[in-house]
Amino acid sequence: MSEQFSRRDFLKLAGLGAATTAVLTGCGPASRYVTREPYQEMPEYNYVGQSTYYATTCRECAAGCGLVVRTYQGRAIKTEGNASHPLNLGKTCARGQATLHGLYNPDRVQGPSNGDWDAAIQLVADALKNNKPDEIAFLMGMAPDHLFDLVTDMANATGMNAPVRYGALGMFEARATLSKAAEALFGQAGLPFFDVGGAQVVLSFGANFLETWLSPVSYTRGFAGLREAKTKMRGKLIQFEARMSATGGKADEWIPLRPGTEALVALAIGRLAAEIRGGSMPRAFSSVDPLDVAARSGIKLEALEHIAEMVAHSSGVLAIPGGAALGQSNGQAVAEAVLALNAFADNLGKPGGVYLSALAPSQSDYSRPASAREMQEFVEKMASGAFKVLFVHGVNPVFELPASLGFKDALGSVEQVISFATFPDETAAEADFVFPDHHGLESWGYQRVVTGTSLPVLSGAQPVVSPYYNTRATADVLIAAAQIAGGAFAEALPYTDEVEFLQTKVSALMNEADGSFSALDAATFMAYFQQHGGWWKNTDSRLAPASSILNSNIDAAEAEFAGEGEFFLVPFVSPTLAEAGANKPWLQELPDPTTTVMWNTWVEINPETAHELGIESDDVVRVISEVGEVEAAVYLYPAIRPDTIAIPFGQGHTAYGRYAENRGANPANLLSVHFNASGDLAFAGMKVKVEKTGVKRPLSRLEGLGVYGGEGIELH
Amino acid sequence: MTTSSELNMPEIAMAEKEAGKWGMVIDQDICTGCQACVAACAMENNIAFVGEEDSGYGRAMHWIRIERFWEGEYPEVKMTNQQPMMCQQCGSAPCEPVCPAFATVHSMAESLNLQVYNRCVGTRYCANNCPYQVRAFNWRDYKRPEPLPNQLNPDVTVRRVGVMEKCTFCIQRIFKAQDQAKAEGREVMDGEFTTACAQACPASAIVFGRVDDPQSLVSQLKERSGGKTHLKELGTLPNVTYFNGG
Repeated sequence: MSEQFSRRDFLKLAGLGAATTAVLTGCGPASRYVTREPYQEMPEYNYVGQSTYYATTCRECAAGCGLVVRTYQGRAIKTEGNASHPLNLGKTCARGQATLHGLYNPDRVQGPSNGDWDAAIQLVADALKNNKPDEIAFLMGMAPDHLFDLVTDMANATGMNAPVRYGALGMFEARATLSKAAEALFGQAGLPFFDVGGAQVVLSFGANFLETWLSPVSYTRGFAGLREAKTKMRGKLIQFEARMSATGGKADEWIPLRPGTEALVALAIGRLAAEIRGGSMPRAFSSVDPLDVAARSGIKLEALEHIAEMVAHSSGVLAIPGGAALGQSNGQAVAEAVLALNAFADNLGKPGGVYLSALAPSQSDYSRPASAREMQEFVEKMASGAFKVLFVHGVNPVFELPASLGFKDALGSVEQVISFATFPDETAAEADFVFPDHHGLESWGYQRVVTGTSLPVLSGAQPVVSPYYNTRATADVLIAAAQIAGGAFAEALPYTDEVEFLQTKVSALMNEADGSFSALDAATFMAYFQQHGGWWKNTDSRLAPASSILNSNIDAAEAEFAGEGEFFLVPFVSPTLAEAGANKPWLQELPDPTTTVMWNTWVEINPETAHELGIESDDVVRVISEVGEVEAAVYLYPAIRPDTIAIPFGQGHTAYGRYAENRGANPANLLSVHFNASGDLAFAGMKVKVEKTGVKRPLSRLEGLGVYGGEGIELH
Repeated sequence: MTTSSELNMPEIAMAEKEAGKWGMVIDQDICTGCQACVAACAMENNIAFVGEEDSGYGRAMHWIRIERFWEGEYPEVKMTNQQPMMCQQCGSAPCEPVCPAFATVHSMAESLNLQVYNRCVGTRYCANNCPYQVRAFNWRDYKRPEPLPNQLNPDVTVRRVGVMEKCTFCIQRIFKAQDQAKAEGREVMDGEFTTACAQACPASAIVFGRVDDPQSLVSQLKERSGGKTHLKELGTLPNVTYFNGG
């Protein structure tokens, strides 16, 4: 140290001395972690002109990407990806960027609906105490995991119903089918991991992996790896789907097959490739006739042969089953047929192939969100009065479930509905009480990364700003209520608050070897956990499956379709809004990647078909299914089959704040209740009618087509 | 294609020899059009949202947009590779000479096209003269209801009605990195900072850096074959190079 003593150094030392007098206050949960410090040593978030950065986990979907949030004088300014997080390596999607518009949304729930948190906690305690355990139900979203664990602990100890998780993204990904297929093939339930980055030829059967599918940031990085030609040839993407998705738009070859023939097409490609390669014909492929498949699917035989040629001769062939292909009556067969192609390509457990995703640290079994059939059972229990009290957290089932499942009506049969919603969504509007949780960026927690990386990852969340409104962490509410309720509840949650619960759970990882960091005491371990944004193991823990699928018979029946209409309906998740983005104004103003439409819902119709029906661009049409109808303006979409129409899911809210409310239409209202063998909704198995309404309503779009008087950017 | 020297335009030919300072390389082959860059740009640069009606009239304030075109007809229809389009930071920018208020000026130090908001009087000449259509005009004072303004980036001016704006290559980040490097007595390192769009891009399709440093990643990527700049024939000397794969 130099002889000279700067003013700054003096202040630092003076501060150090004063800091030893810092007092840890102990006045209850809210102030327990507040340290009083002298004025000379301002808290780090309060240095004028300097930003502080906090690592946390994105809560816009359940993938669990790591974020680093820039804060400035206690305000969150910008989210960036956490560069050391194994799942997203410093990258984010548009929804991750716009999460700040959720945090500072003008329409958040600003406090408990009864006005007083003490009374709210008493009310929750009474609900727990005064009902039999099996009359209490929890419905939760796919994030966050720590709260799910807390409620699971509570349920295990008290005999309360185990919490049920649901999310529209899980439904549109047909996660139950994917998991069931993995179980049937690999002897273990779980989510398959498709190593797109290492592959050479990717056959995607409607998988929208560049949009919202499973873990879009990670899969987009994989896609960049597929295309880049650094150490290998530039890889190819071949997409099979009736309507060109944003993912299909990136494909080298886009094959518009007839909906419902995905399994047949996969098997036919397998058969043709096996014939080219010679040797014995795998039993899985033996039952299909490629000529017949060509006729049924609307794909020319030459096209099938051309793809089979690639499959037979290239190394690194990878086939992916997407949600729309699985969400049909024959979804199970589609999953098997597509995975049989992978077995034929001999890529199981190899780079560029299929793995079983690594389980997160401290996770013993894969647990998936509820399928639509399980949700139907849940709704039936609600309707029968079996539940006296229902807690809802992190999901908006009135909007996200198909209306035909009757969730909204069934809510009426539950005596007490308590919502923990951060935003005034449709479910909160139906609830008896709303006790708002913090926004994700104000929250503690963790999220297990279920797929998208080779490492087992527990992604950590911490508040990056203090709560803006009079909200309270749901975990804190439950812990406090359990103490009041006493008995088994109090024993199940013997914690002072949410942070202590987290510390208990997270510090259990301290003894595990091969971690991204280690520490000798729990407090240090927890501090590192916050600083790094989670804890992960350093070795590839994906499982390499073995499968005998090639030697089994696959029932390749075509899918069945419900309804009388002349059009196949493709409901797809909006790539920019997803299921819960509609209340964020900048997400609304992002042009859709394929149509460039902003701020509304549209119906995609092939221009030729529209011409025959006398429908023009921006004409409002009524789409009618066997259970419902929606109205939206037409977008003449050049890349959709003439017998198919498509509607994005994400708009059509009747609540959820000023930017979402009364805007667009919700295609979930068209979906009728049909399941596939795994219990997933056959949402892609609807036929619908289209009627003109005579109304014209121009869609706002980035591309200029003259609809708004010819202004804007021309002819994109 | 005719180059400017063949057109006998000596001043542009001279400018053509001058390398820019900051530049971008965009790989359209791996761009998925996911809009993460557009959202990141809006969040970083305090860009206002204009709502359904105004965006329908082409008044959306995107500083970066993703263009996509259709080729062919069903079933042989193809979506062309997405093309992120933002201010190309021209070395010889058509927007600059038409500004009567010197609001649209060239930074000699940074080789960037500046937009000085408090000089702008809103003639919109610059936007008319921009061949890339990347300038956005504040047609109204677009409202951000409370508490949305909490999110505003203190490093970036909030623009009001009547002012033109456009991509700045995140100049606030450039200055911050340069100040930091200067304080530490060193040069800015390649990759030390990047623009909001490049930072967010899940495919890493956008790469930003010093094009006058042959060692930088962006310079090395730019040297690959197949790169092109848009509307080169206009002699604008853009500092964004596009690769279309294949």
